[in-house]
Amino acid sequence: MSGERDARPMLVLRDIHKFYGTNEVLKGISLEVNEGELVTFVGPSGCGKTTLLRLIGGFTDVSAGDIILDGKRVNDLPPNLRDTRICFQNYALFPHMTVAENVGYGLKINGWPKERIRARVSELLEMVELKAFGERMIDKLSGGQQQRVAFARALSLEPKVLLLDEPLSNLDANLRLVMREEIRKLQERLHITTVFVTHDQFEAMAISDRLVVMKDGLIEQVGTPIEIYERPANEFIAGFVGYVNFMDGTVSALDAAAHTASVDTPYGAFEVSLEQKDIAPGDEVLMVIRPESVTISLDCGIKRKNVVCGTLRSYMYAGSLAKCTVAIGDKKMIIDQYNPRDAQRFTHADKVEVEIPRSVHLLKKKKERPS
Amino acid sequence: MATAELSLKVQAGSGSRIKDFLNANLINILAAVLFLLLAFFLLYPIIAVLIKSVRGPAGFTLEYYRAFFAKSYYYRSLVNTLLLGAINTAVCLVIGFCLAYMTTRGPWLLRKPLKIISLVPLIAPPYLFALSLIILFGRNGLVTRMLDLHWELYGFSGVVISQTLAFIPLAYMMLESTLMSLNPNLEESAYDMGASEATILRTITIPLMAPGLLKAGLLIFVMTIAEFGNAAILGGRTPFLAPDTYTMITGESDFNMGSVLSVVLIAPCIVIFFIHNYLLEGKKFTTIGGKPVAAEPRKITPLIKVPFVLITTLAAGAIFICFAVVLAASFYKILGVTDRFVLSNYLDFTSNQAIYNSIRVSLVAAVIGAVIGVLLAYVIVRGKFFGRSFIEMASLSGFALPGTVLGIGYLLAFSAPPLQLTGGIMILALNCVFRFLAVGVEAGISKLHQIHIEIEEASADLGASFLTTFFRIVLPIMFPAFIAGFIYTFMTAIVSLSAVVFLVSPGFQLAAVKIFDAAVYGEIGIASATTIKLVLIVMGCVAILNYITKKTRLGSAMGKPAA
Amino acid sequence: MKGKCVAVVVAAIFCVALAGSAAAQEINAYMGTSPDNNAKIAKFIKDKTGITVNQTFQSFGEIEARVKAEAPNFNADMIIGCGSSTGYLAKKNGWAVPYASPAWKGVADVFMDPQGNWYNIGNFSFLLVGNKDRLAKAGRTMPKSWKELLDPKWKGEIVMPSPLSSGTANMMRYSFLALYGDAEGWKFIEALDKNIHHYTRSGNAPTDLVGRGEFILGLTSDENVKKRLDDGYPLIWSVPAEGTGYDGTFALILKGTKKLDAAKKIVDLLGTPEFSALMAEIGYMTPRPAANALYGKTLPKYINLDLGKAADDKAKNNDIWKAKLRTDFK
Repeated sequence: MSGERDARPMLVLRDIHKFYGTNEVLKGISLEVNEGELVTFVGPSGCGKTTLLRLIGGFTDVSAGDIILDGKRVNDLPPNLRDTRICFQNYALFPHMTVAENVGYGLKINGWPKERIRARVSELLEMVELKAFGERMIDKLSGGQQQRVAFARALSLEPKVLLLDEPLSNLDANLRLVMREEIRKLQERLHITTVFVTHDQFEAMAISDRLVVMKDGLIEQVGTPIEIYERPANEFIAGFVGYVNFMDGTVSALDAAAHTASVDTPYGAFEVSLEQKDIAPGDEVLMVIRPESVTISLDCGIKRKNVVCGTLRSYMYAGSLAKCTVAIGDKKMIIDQYNPRDAQRFTHADKVEVEIPRSVHLLKKKKERPS
Repeated sequence: MATAELSLKVQAGSGSRIKDFLNANLINILAAVLFLLLAFFLLYPIIAVLIKSVRGPAGFTLEYYRAFFAKSYYYRSLVNTLLLGAINTAVCLVIGFCLAYMTTRGPWLLRKPLKIISLVPLIAPPYLFALSLIILFGRNGLVTRMLDLHWELYGFSGVVISQTLAFIPLAYMMLESTLMSLNPNLEESAYDMGASEATILRTITIPLMAPGLLKAGLLIFVMTIAEFGNAAILGGRTPFLAPDTYTMITGESDFNMGSVLSVVLIAPCIVIFFIHNYLLEGKKFTTIGGKPVAAEPRKITPLIKVPFVLITTLAAGAIFICFAVVLAASFYKILGVTDRFVLSNYLDFTSNQAIYNSIRVSLVAAVIGAVIGVLLAYVIVRGKFFGRSFIEMASLSGFALPGTVLGIGYLLAFSAPPLQLTGGIMILALNCVFRFLAVGVEAGISKLHQIHIEIEEASADLGASFLTTFFRIVLPIMFPAFIAGFIYTFMTAIVSLSAVVFLVSPGFQLAAVKIFDAAVYGEIGIASATTIKLVLIVMGCVAILNYITKKTRLGSAMGKPAA
Repeated sequence: MKGKCVAVVVAAIFCVALAGSAAAQEINAYMGTSPDNNAKIAKFIKDKTGITVNQTFQSFGEIEARVKAEAPNFNADMIIGCGSSTGYLAKKNGWAVPYASPAWKGVADVFMDPQGNWYNIGNFSFLLVGNKDRLAKAGRTMPKSWKELLDPKWKGEIVMPSPLSSGTANMMRYSFLALYGDAEGWKFIEALDKNIHHYTRSGNAPTDLVGRGEFILGLTSDENVKKRLDDGYPLIWSVPAEGTGYDGTFALILKGTKKLDAAKKIVDLLGTPEFSALMAEIGYMTPRPAANALYGKTLPKYINLDLGKAADDKAKNNDIWKAKLRTDFK
């Protein structure tokens, strides 16, 4: 985690608000992005993540709040005077220029001498493995190649912050995986502060130092991928970053020494390890049960702790895992059984036992829960 | 077509054999019919003009051309015309660009009012500006008297100014749609890379708009040199080819010389058409996400802002004032002479009849034009037959032909049996159809390029005949193109004067001609009132069309007539 | 199914637009008097005979051009109001249907063709008009003779119609040629040209331009002067000492009409004293004597003319006109 190592804030957002007419699309965003860190804005469409990125880039005015870049307030600086560079979703490569001209555009604009431009462009093209493509026109490139050119162009002036707006969304699935690794490797090598916007939560988790999960113009949670996935702040985040089974319950007892809590549910009592401090006996809670954390096996004999019985409703074999749907009373639970090759196989209507791990996360229920 | 081979194999009875043959070759039959239509209503009239220009009483002769080039008068007329075209095109493009830039990149506040002011004159006859200019800046005009000016309105400068004001809306409309389809991220990227606004304009915006600019330039040039209303009213003794041609045909009935003048008028248009095609070769930039989008307002630097705001304010102000003058004049007996407030100008029955006729002609033209446009686009994109590129060229070249030429061509070609069409609604409608065909065809072609042939193949694969596929799949998808062609033809046909003035007949007066006659005759009040009525009625029609398409939710590409 | 709805709507628009307005009895006519006078005449015919006259406004020159272009298949059934040259041309080429109308008995020779090829519904002349306000401002008075127009002080302040497009202008030209003789006449026209600001398309346009004060003087058709005076234009008119020319306003039936009876009925009506009264009220000198709106009972002094010769010479004179007056472009 390079960000944590030097922990120098490169980009600071302070209580950013943005109105379009009377419509408030950003409702007070505060955030610090450290030097060399890759932070991802992720959230459903319309959450304001792209608007926030455009604010940082200077394409849109802030209605209230401050944007501080490397210690300087840049609210009123237009994009051309801000040391940020953006890569648009559609790459926005200039179709009337060659690859080299595209990559060298910013250098030329900034008055670099021709020789230096040539050297820098070839260095950049080498970096994105497009050395032989300098003289090509943009429309003669594949999507992935265009992506690289856009990346090289954005890096050409060594910006303080790189802004990537859904850079991978126009690529096909396999290429996406390759490109995201490449981007990450390059970003780490150049130690460049990067803000990445995506609606793809898995991409976000795979690539980021930290995630900023947004919804309706607000930040829902900021944290490392581990924090977001394993200790989501609310139901929305829990559901947003992966499939989740929820189970309602009430805390019946706490064991402070063992850091465990007992949770009563309509399906039985569970013992859960406790990390939160704010949970007290009698609290209504939601158990956040990830499908892959549950163990499933045939038969339902001896009663053990954290084990409930159910009936298999479906079993879908998908190579690396099998997706099982189990009915526990009136509740359906999705369970991922990994490496099914070496595990038990199930068929419809099998009686199974399901073991909920102690590590499940507990969410304290609010009065009105979002549906 | 995939259906072709398939259905040819299954030849059962003789009755179904004919059906199969039809089914398999329908696209070719369609192409042949369309080719005949184009040949008949577009090429034949032009050829008739060409022939007339070299056929004297004793057969082939170049005497008329000799007469043209021997007379310095005509030479001067030609030079004036080309100069007018060039100046007008350049000025219109600059102003149109500034307006389009402000309404697509400028502050939200300005976008709507600028857009409305720039677009309204589109449905008013171009020579409306000549009227306003006389009322304001004539030798005894309101402004002239007030400021004691000594500017000679009648002459080259007057024609240039009125003609420029008249064609700004067209330039604006075309450039706005070009700018709208230009992905704003491209300019933003350049901005982001450190380019200043002026640099972005120079290195990104304008180079990327080149095709749109070229096309708008060509269209404005052609329409300017063919539109004779302003030149006839304000030209004074300065000769221009279009009014000369008009006088030659309608006054002197010298069809030979009139044809020569027309051919001379075509020549520069054809040259420019080919230059335009040549320059566009390989410049069809594809921008990802080329959907029309409104870019966010930009912090425009003063260096750009000052001249742009100045130019747009001046242009919009001038257009607005000219319209206000026309509106005022419509309520006065004679504005500037006897300032008596009257409503009689609006009650003039002959103008109502003329407006009614104009709308009828334009509607018929719009329906036929949109249908033929869509069909042509279809055979051009999907057909595989000899002469396909020729059909494409022919159907797109209509707009490069000066209106006067096709007007005279129709008069020559269709005034005698067996092809007698003169003296009715059809000749007027057909003339408009084939002059303004290009827009519908282009919209259709670009729409078809967006649909994969697989969709049609899928339909055919499910057993649908060619016709079923066409009606069920192709037509609905192409509906926006149909609407674009419809509205453009409708609006252009209703104000166009240059061709129809040769073709109107007793009992079938058109509003554009009526307004021109009233203006020339000095009935400024009636001319103005008719213009206002026409503008309001056309706006009403367009609003109804918009409503229908919105209601039926088919109007994704609606709203504005793509140019 | 929305597509079908739209198709129906479009088809409906199309049918409504195409459907003509077929009235009971209609006739198509080229009419060359001013738009409102055309309307008055058409209304008179409609009131008296019930026949609707479909008309376009065109200048005399344009009507002649049209008839020449369309011959022998005319788009109109008749002409009500064309120049004499068109009448003589039609007679010479057999484009008119001769009809000896009983209603026209007893009119003077200048008002009808002996064979009934054409009828003259009213003579009109040309006048000199001036703008009172602008004359006063410049401290000048109306010229008393045509020759005075050659004074360089009028340079750029006179407008007149072009004989290439206007029958009135053709009348002016043959009148000057008749007044001064060919050689002197052309010299006059050339000298006058130096002072002419520009030539208008329509013979009535100068009345308006001078009335609006755009120019001080104009040579113009007399037909619309009365109306413009009534409208309130600050106009002053005169017939210069040498006198003025005149032209007929001819009506004739075009060959090939399918509505011969209706056309004949109209011709008969045009010969009645009531119609003459209408024309005189407008400002014409009529076949049946009636008080003229502009001149009253005393008719202006006329230059001696041969309208037939004027018609024959028209094309030749157009060529001479172009050759002589379009020289300043060399």
